[in-house]
Amino acid sequence: MTAVQKRILINKLALGFSTFSAVIALGFLFWILGVLMMKGIDALNWNIFIYEGSPPGYEDSGLKHALIGQLILVGLATLIGVPLGIMAGTYLSEYGKNSKLAHTIRDISDIMMSAPSIVIGAFVYAIIVMPMGHFSAWAGAIALAIIMIPIILRTTDDMLQLVPGTLREAAFALGAPKYKVIIDVVYRGAKAGILTGVLLGVARVAGETAPLLFTSFNDNFFTTDLNAAMPSLTVTMFNYAISPYDDWQQLGWAAAFILSMFILGLNIVGRLILLAGKRK
Amino acid sequence: MASIIDIKEECALQVRNFDFTYKGAPAPSLKKVTMPIAKHAVTALIGPSGCGKTTLLRAFNRMHDLYPGNKYEGEIEFEGRNILDPKEDLIHLRTKIGMIFQKPTAFPMSIFDNVAYGMRLQGIKNKTELNDRVEKALQDAALWKEVSDRLKNDANGLSGGQQQRLCIARAIAVEPEVLLFDEPTSALDPISTQGIEKLVIELKERVSIIIVTHNMQQAARVSDYTGFMYLGDLIELGHTEELFVTPKEKLTQEYITGKFG
Repeated sequence: MTAVQKRILINKLALGFSTFSAVIALGFLFWILGVLMMKGIDALNWNIFIYEGSPPGYEDSGLKHALIGQLILVGLATLIGVPLGIMAGTYLSEYGKNSKLAHTIRDISDIMMSAPSIVIGAFVYAIIVMPMGHFSAWAGAIALAIIMIPIILRTTDDMLQLVPGTLREAAFALGAPKYKVIIDVVYRGAKAGILTGVLLGVARVAGETAPLLFTSFNDNFFTTDLNAAMPSLTVTMFNYAISPYDDWQQLGWAAAFILSMFILGLNIVGRLILLAGKRK
Repeated sequence: MASIIDIKEECALQVRNFDFTYKGAPAPSLKKVTMPIAKHAVTALIGPSGCGKTTLLRAFNRMHDLYPGNKYEGEIEFEGRNILDPKEDLIHLRTKIGMIFQKPTAFPMSIFDNVAYGMRLQGIKNKTELNDRVEKALQDAALWKEVSDRLKNDANGLSGGQQQRLCIARAIAVEPEVLLFDEPTSALDPISTQGIEKLVIELKERVSIIIVTHNMQQAARVSDYTGFMYLGDLIELGHTEELFVTPKEKLTQEYITGKFG
């Protein structure tokens, strides 16, 4: 074998292995989605959206309680987390810049992003659930918001920094005060990026179970009381999936399917917005 | 040693013994610059890269204040006061002394909103007045014909030359006394450059203009006065024709004849 032939062979082997690895990695994703689709769509029916939870064996049992609870929890977390995240990101990019404090905040935020979510659940349990004496939707939403903030903070910071400095200077040169420059020019320029960050942040917390286990806990019935335990798709899915009852397991599959489609949708929309923003 | 002409007519700005030091720099970037800027005339600043032209230009609207730690000394007189005074109202100053940048800086909003931006900042809300003044500014910037039917379109859809004229329209819409041009054509093609130069000459009827340029021909074409700067010093300021034909300083002559630069 000549040197060239050997090189070609090595090239083919390397290409083969890396393609194979990529296929396996992606294969799992499609496998998961495939199983979810088959089991999930099978378990879907209108009753799921109409009825709340009931003991095993009853015909009219559904996921209405968990669906609405999930929306309330994620919505509340978004209301708390998005303004804080965007404002903190704005501070870093527009005020803190390269100061020591700004760098420290960025580092801490990066560490928080990889903090185990169950630890954050335990933290909220200690500071909110324990003093209040009971589980609550507030506690669950705050736990989710804590997970969401570093993601939104980081994307906001990054996206604002992409807005060219000359654009800011041009606004200042017209006599704009700083807050006007940020709102009128910088936010507008980074609109798509910030929105993407928000959607990815929401998608990230929508699938969390661990921080809800001992904050919002769970409930088998429909409730909108923010001061009481609140059902969520994730915890409901966990409870139903480990139960020995067939109909509960079916509901678990349905919950898994709905949740996955919701998060997949958020991710796709988030990326599309970013793409559309870049193309302009 | 520096040769600075005495301007007989009224001056828009008077720079006296002006020193400027960037944050953390060991030595000042501008040294004892003294320079009159004639009213309703074009003053060009030329000189090799890094000589302090842009630094001087950005002192006139206190742009350096956006980055803390820079140090001013001396005096720049405008409308009877020293604008380097720490108590100077920068927002007011910048509505009086506008700026056009090297690269077009169209804001991410419609053409109309771009031009109206400065006026809205000043609290003008009346629709008719806004419409009238936006149209007038666009006409003065020689852009009206090209954009009158698409004022609601995104300003970033315009060409580079159009965007630069949009920025000029935006700056003159607030009726400033002085306009600072920082190499306004270095990112543009020759035709667009010609358009901007024509505009600069027309605008001096109403505003005093200071233009920084790398291009000596451009300085000769558009300006009434030219200042030659070198290593943070203003070497010579004179009538443009005189400076280019019979420079008084040896350095100026060497620079304009291309011995260095």
